[in-house]
Amino acid sequence: MLLIAGTVVGTDDDFPFGPFKMYSTTDRLDAPVADSRVEAVDTTGRRFVLRDSDTGIRRAEIEGQFDRFAADPALLGVIARAYRRHRSQAPPLTEITVIIRWHELVHGRPTGRYRDQTTVVWHA
Amino acid sequence: MINWLFEPVPRGRVAWLRSLVYLFVVADVTYFTPWVLHHGEVPPEFYRPVLVARLLHLPTPTPHLVGSLYWILLGTALAAATGRAPRLLGWAVFAGYAEWMVVAMSYGKVDHDRFAFLIALAVLPTAGPARHRDTVPTERGGWALRMTQLAAVATYFLSAWAKLRFGGPQWLTGATLTRALLRRGTDLGTPLTRVPWLLVGAQCGIVAFELLSPLIFVVGRRWGYPMVWLFFAFHLSVFATITISFVPQQVALGAFLPLERVPDRLRGLARRWSVRRRIDPVGYGTGGGPAR
Repeated sequence: MLLIAGTVVGTDDDFPFGPFKMYSTTDRLDAPVADSRVEAVDTTGRRFVLRDSDTGIRRAEIEGQFDRFAADPALLGVIARAYRRHRSQAPPLTEITVIIRWHELVHGRPTGRYRDQTTVVWHA
Repeated sequence: MINWLFEPVPRGRVAWLRSLVYLFVVADVTYFTPWVLHHGEVPPEFYRPVLVARLLHLPTPTPHLVGSLYWILLGTALAAATGRAPRLLGWAVFAGYAEWMVVAMSYGKVDHDRFAFLIALAVLPTAGPARHRDTVPTERGGWALRMTQLAAVATYFLSAWAKLRFGGPQWLTGATLTRALLRRGTDLGTPLTRVPWLLVGAQCGIVAFELLSPLIFVVGRRWGYPMVWLFFAFHLSVFATITISFVPQQVALGAFLPLERVPDRLRGLARRWSVRRRIDPVGYGTGGGPAR
């Protein structure tokens, strides 16, 4: 009963009785589809894509809290601190950017063209 | 209905499912979800406790807490896999793994492949004593397996419901699989984005498969086992194309299988293989040797 209630009116917050909503939203066949990534710049000037294993934070978790980061970009500093804990020997980060790549679709087929949208930026 | 819920199964099946489930806990914390251990090191501002964690006032994860949980889970799960003290060790593993899951899901992303596995962990402690070679039927064990089966099928069926709730009927003809493949497609999966009609067909197939999954309870044994293998094949194809494995769900599907027969099958295969080696030690087979 809990599971059915969770499916009908619940949210992820009701885990483990929330709705099984992975990939349950609809993307239109003629609208761009989003693919996000997190880029970082360290004190040496090197720019690179932050992987889950660099910080212990999964990409989907950053997407899941995107509204918080958009409202207060200073919160991205949390990711810089997580990176320092995980990569204590590596140069610290000076910039973190959340980028969404919009892949163009025509009749459901990717054209190979895309547009990168910088959404949130944090500077040390 | 009551008879169906408590349909007896050999105790050996319960014992093998216990071993499978508890050994998977070990594999999960060490191999499949090692990132949960890292959550202890993530700054607490990132912690977004799910409802159950707030209700129970569970502490914010720290390296010490998650590290301790890791070792306790490894120890109790390995001990529970032997089948000894099934109630005590079973509840200990359930409590530890439930907390492990709370730590996993409280950072902004909730996975949906765990429900049936968590139900298996919750019901196996109630299934009573069971040894691996024990053929005595057990109703308690039958109930535990039935609950796990129901949870596994509910995961499929209610996934279709969630798609209709969040995506609407247009989910069937949308570009959701294309998005999944662009985000995390494998070398095998990414080329499929060039064939959108195939992906739309696959979306219709997925929803049909999910809505029809409860049929496994009415089709009888003859079609039931092929349906279970169809479930496994579905997960294999998803993993091969977008690297989402749903392994905990697949472990729970073990509740549908006559696991107690697996060792005999393996022994039979080994015997057949060794006989073949004795008859044909060089391994040329019977179709003739190399040309002379």
